[in-house]
Amino acid sequence: MKFNIPIGPQHPALKEPISLRMTVEGEIIRDADIRLGYNHRGLEKLAEERTWIQNIYLTERICGICSHSHTTCYVQGVEKLMEIEPPQRGLYIRTLVAELERVHSHLLWLGVAGHEAGFDSFFMYTWRDREVVMDILEMISGNRVHYAMNTLGGVRRDIDEGQRKHILDSLETLRARSEFYLKIGANEPTFVARLAGVGYLSKEKAMDLCAVGPTARASNVARDVRRDDPYAAYDETPFDVCTAETCDVLGRTVVRIKELFESYKIIEFLLKNLPAGAISVKAPTKAKPNEVLSRYEAPRGENTHYIKSNGTNKPERLKIRAPTLANYPATVEMLKNGFIADIPLIFAAIDPCICCAERTVETLDARSGEEKTLRFSELRKLADERYKKLSPKRNAVWPF
Amino acid sequence: MAVLKTLLYLIVYPGIIFLFVYSTFCEWFDRKVYARLQNRMGPTHTGRWGILQPVADFIKLMSKEDIVPDKADKTLFILLPVFGLAIVATAGLLLPLWHYSATEAGFNSFPGDIIVVLYLLSLPTLIFFLAGWSSTNVFSTIGGTRVLTMLFGYEVPLFLSVLTPAILAGSWRLAEIARFYQQTPALLLPNILGFFIALICIQAKLERTPFDIPHAETEIVGGTFTEYSGKKLAFFRLMTDIELVVSSGLIAAVFLGGFPGGVLLGLVNFVIKTLIVIFFLSLIRALTSRIRVDQVVSFAWKYLAPLAVLQLLIVILIKGLLL
Amino acid sequence: MTDVEIIEKAKTLFGDKIVEIANPAKRRIFMTVEVRNLTAVVAGLRKEIHLWYLATVSGLDAGEFYEILYHFGHENGSLTIRTKIPKSDAHLESICPIIPGAILYERELQDMFGIVIDNIPDPRPLVLPDDWPAGNFPLRKDWKYERPEEKIPGGTK
Repeated sequence: MKFNIPIGPQHPALKEPISLRMTVEGEIIRDADIRLGYNHRGLEKLAEERTWIQNIYLTERICGICSHSHTTCYVQGVEKLMEIEPPQRGLYIRTLVAELERVHSHLLWLGVAGHEAGFDSFFMYTWRDREVVMDILEMISGNRVHYAMNTLGGVRRDIDEGQRKHILDSLETLRARSEFYLKIGANEPTFVARLAGVGYLSKEKAMDLCAVGPTARASNVARDVRRDDPYAAYDETPFDVCTAETCDVLGRTVVRIKELFESYKIIEFLLKNLPAGAISVKAPTKAKPNEVLSRYEAPRGENTHYIKSNGTNKPERLKIRAPTLANYPATVEMLKNGFIADIPLIFAAIDPCICCAERTVETLDARSGEEKTLRFSELRKLADERYKKLSPKRNAVWPF
Repeated sequence: MAVLKTLLYLIVYPGIIFLFVYSTFCEWFDRKVYARLQNRMGPTHTGRWGILQPVADFIKLMSKEDIVPDKADKTLFILLPVFGLAIVATAGLLLPLWHYSATEAGFNSFPGDIIVVLYLLSLPTLIFFLAGWSSTNVFSTIGGTRVLTMLFGYEVPLFLSVLTPAILAGSWRLAEIARFYQQTPALLLPNILGFFIALICIQAKLERTPFDIPHAETEIVGGTFTEYSGKKLAFFRLMTDIELVVSSGLIAAVFLGGFPGGVLLGLVNFVIKTLIVIFFLSLIRALTSRIRVDQVVSFAWKYLAPLAVLQLLIVILIKGLLL
Repeated sequence: MTDVEIIEKAKTLFGDKIVEIANPAKRRIFMTVEVRNLTAVVAGLRKEIHLWYLATVSGLDAGEFYEILYHFGHENGSLTIRTKIPKSDAHLESICPIIPGAILYERELQDMFGIVIDNIPDPRPLVLPDDWPAGNFPLRKDWKYERPEEKIPGGTK
């Protein structure tokens, strides 16, 4: 007997609103459908009416966890349009913050995966260590999220000797703890039983559906923009691309833990070889008419910005494709023939950053993402509708 | 006089007031151990060391708005929490704490009362299923079916492992079993395997990690309790707390030698022994992650049931050879 | 394969299907094709040069026509195919049979620009809400946003 389960738009497993409609039979999912648009803010249209510098603030606020990735990708593209080269020290600091962001994002993901699997102790431990990274970021930039380090032509803040030493010391603690997590992740039988074999995505399907990031790398597709198309300081930094062969959620966990170790190596290299010099150059206000494609490896996958200029101080078109959007078709594929109990894990394994994935146009009302009962079955969450019909009878005057 | 004693027995100790006070204390203990194992503080604010936190939670829930969904089956929906609370409190009355005679049967200690306690402790599972069913919410229905699926897994090993010490002691009366083991404590050792099996099965019965699938928050929003709020939710939570106390009391009575020593010493014994059991349960809760419902059933039948049968074999051999 | 090798191979494979091909920066190739040759070129690229990874599809409102860019990524950079379609007859052929992962990008083009994509497997709008008034295509240059009157559901106004 099949019936439809709605996951979202509001659900404890989701950090942001997205609607998944699953058709289930018993505990097995037969079909899945993803409905987007709840977090749509109209950023691409807004970007056409703001100057190049103002757009840095706009792109930063696309997402909290991957804020630096969006600004760097945008700023890289605009620097190419304006034909300016940031100095080496600026590039190194940009890469340093990028790797710190990757570390904190992967630690966050490990905690979320533990929480979705019911392993709350693991969640508490990884988030405790994430505080070390957040403190470093606050020390460098003044903020725990939205670091605002980038500007056109370089970075805005410098790192002095004391900060450099502090980061190198904290790296030692982080390294020891990450090894501990690798041991737990591989050896705790209940945790591994939840992760192994879940959300299988074969290599051919990953290539067909154009998956990106650790989702694709866990299916043995060795694509990493830091190696294929080096930007910032990555062409001078030695590192390896991490892949796994199991094609399931356990593979994605292993890929992310391996990437943590790679990031520690990169951060150490960058700090030990930080060149002296200026941190930014002055940028002009207008850019000649030209177009550029800018690519960046965010913690979740490849981030692509396409920018076209028309000679004024505002962009003609800014197109952003965040990595989570590219992983949605792969998610639908992974959900089929899984268990209901695996839905949060499969969805969390692509590391969804839903506010990155939806930027196109403003919604009409603040809450107009409200679904009509057009094509959703009657078994969706009655609670929402019930509540709206119930409360006006009790409060005659609407509170606002 | 006897009537007064019986009334005190039913209402104060070990009746509903004692169960309420002690089960909130046990919930605090469980939360504190769980938090310290996760490098957190746990409840600290209400009362000294946060000891009044579960009471505060109960009072808060009682004062919240109580919503009954339109399409839900109203009679069942409203009566189930009350029934559940009554059932587990009754199971608590049959533990050998006070007002029982070790030598002759009475109204609260009779041959076969161990079976009655086990039966009363499996009724809450049916109540959870009915609660999920009568809510007519997709998530509650799934939670309800998961509760019953788990029942197929852990019930048989639980019964087998709890009844084997009774077989060794040669009686079906909890008070006599306890007295048997108080007189020959060395015979507690052959039952160690059964003790651990019973701990795992009780963890499944109480729906705690790794078996908290029926109300897995990240998957089905709250499972059987999704639609409950206010007083009914307060009663359900109290019911799970009392279930914790009663089942650890059962395990302590059967595996750890009961609660000898009259009223006061018996109470101290009870507190210490149940806290030992609850400590083990909290350890299991903090150290594992949730497993899927089909994995629960296969784990129970592949490992727990054969081990319980092995335990039964050991007990039969010992009984035959030594007694 | 380096940029030069890819350009050579593309020229031999497609000959005059390619209107123009340019290499403006390191690891960036831009190729212009006519819209009627688009599917053939994409299929050829996938088979012969193993260009299976489509990063995204950008749409651009350039006055009299729409410019659609297909951004592909390969192991040493990226290749972009550019094509133009007139605004009066905005039709595109879907490349989902060749690259199934292009479905979401094509749905976004339909939503935001009003381009009709033929043979698309799933024509539902991607990001716009259900009660969006028809005929409003937000990313067109001539679309202006007007704030509608605020209606509070269930309350009095």
